[in-house]
Amino acid sequence: MNIASDIWIWIGALLTLCIFSFLYKDNPFYKFAEHLFVGVTNGYFVTITFHRVLMPNAISPLFTQGKIWLIIPLIIGALYLTRFIPRISWMIRIPIAIAMGYIMGTAIPATIEAEIVRQIQGTILTPQNFQAWNAGSIGILWSIILFIGVVCTLSYFYFSREHKGVLGVTSKIGIIFIMVGFGAAFGYTVMARISLLIGRLQFLLGDWLGIIQ
Amino acid sequence: MKIFEYLSKLDRRIIYLILAVVVIIPLVFPKPQSVRVMEPARKLFNAVNAIPDEKILMIDFDYDPQTQPELQPMAIALLRHAFTKRIKVAALSLYVQPLGLAKAALDQVTEEFNFQAQTNADSIIYGRDYVFLGWQPPPIVPLLGMGTSISNVYKTDYYGNKTDTLPLMKNVKNFNDVGILVSVSGASAPLWWVAYSQTRYGVAVGAGITAVSASDFYIYLQTGQFSGLMIGMKGAAEYEEMVASDLKVQGKRKASEALGSLTAAHITIMIFIIIGNIGFFLRRRK
Repeated sequence: MNIASDIWIWIGALLTLCIFSFLYKDNPFYKFAEHLFVGVTNGYFVTITFHRVLMPNAISPLFTQGKIWLIIPLIIGALYLTRFIPRISWMIRIPIAIAMGYIMGTAIPATIEAEIVRQIQGTILTPQNFQAWNAGSIGILWSIILFIGVVCTLSYFYFSREHKGVLGVTSKIGIIFIMVGFGAAFGYTVMARISLLIGRLQFLLGDWLGIIQ
Repeated sequence: MKIFEYLSKLDRRIIYLILAVVVIIPLVFPKPQSVRVMEPARKLFNAVNAIPDEKILMIDFDYDPQTQPELQPMAIALLRHAFTKRIKVAALSLYVQPLGLAKAALDQVTEEFNFQAQTNADSIIYGRDYVFLGWQPPPIVPLLGMGTSISNVYKTDYYGNKTDTLPLMKNVKNFNDVGILVSVSGASAPLWWVAYSQTRYGVAVGAGITAVSASDFYIYLQTGQFSGLMIGMKGAAEYEEMVASDLKVQGKRKASEALGSLTAAHITIMIFIIIGNIGFFLRRRK
């Protein structure tokens, strides 16, 4: 056993224990650690944003390099703060509209291409897609299962007709695929959460207490 | 049958305690676990291996302390792989929170290699073998801007050096000089790289993701939009295994060491689920 002498490891370990104490019940130690976390995170974000974004990209070029035109985006950005003045709070719509217009303009074509067109291509039964599984001759089987799964799941979400007849059958198969998907997602979620617990315990038992190497 | 009813009403704190014990025992008394490397991680390893000499590996660090246990071992294994194969690395982040973790990973692996290095050529040197570009918000700027010019997006690196003065960056202008971009992320960043950078500039994208988001990202592997994938702590352990067995690189393998605890915890949770379900059906029959 080789207990850490680094003060920061002690602080990290004690704050971890404060957070873990919530597993027993809510208590002042947990609340202290939670508030400290929120405060430190905000302080860190504001400080680093000022020094690494505002200063090098706007304030410094404006005042030291004479890039006067930068005053326009600065003013537009500052309009976000009008939210605190009810009389002119409508002006916040200007930066929001600009940001939304830009983001939507870039996001829509990219999303359609990456998430719709390419995914449809990946579902179509082609020899190229059979090879994508790296499963030899069984690749065709996986592709067919994927194709059935996509079609049946989509049919489950078709609500313009009652789920009877062919639509009833496909939507029921769709539910099976959805449930398998939920099961896989839940299994992965368990793995993720346990991994986080292991990470903290590795820190407590290793870096702090020195029980494990 | 009363035992199932009792167990299904068990205080959640007892379950937490059992889980803690189950996780701690394999950590304190470790037994070597064999790691079976799965296809997604193998694909990523092969894609990084195939980076030509004139191109670099770009690593996007996009995780914070919440997902560090799953993702930091991936980043470390990737860096060990790159430095062993003398692949140049450019590291960056789309968010501010990961900067400290990215620096810690880069420092750790650089120190590991320089500890064993005997000559300047063997050493890993900042600016020559790797650069840390840091953070440039908003994310859309690096996602699209680096397709034209990396040094225009990151005028200075994390340490304040002018990017275009760094030796590594002399031959690295834009995404054309990136062999593969691996996004190690606890959020949606890998998808952004695919949607914006790959769609527009054709850059190859790999990903290291948390297990919780695996089912969202698998589809991009099947379509070939991801060149490879590391999923959760298991994926990190698989990559560590390939780096250790294929490249003979030694070093602490945090994800592999955790597999015993992960397995034990999974078995325990499966038992709890089975007991809970039996208890539920027994109570319903009454």
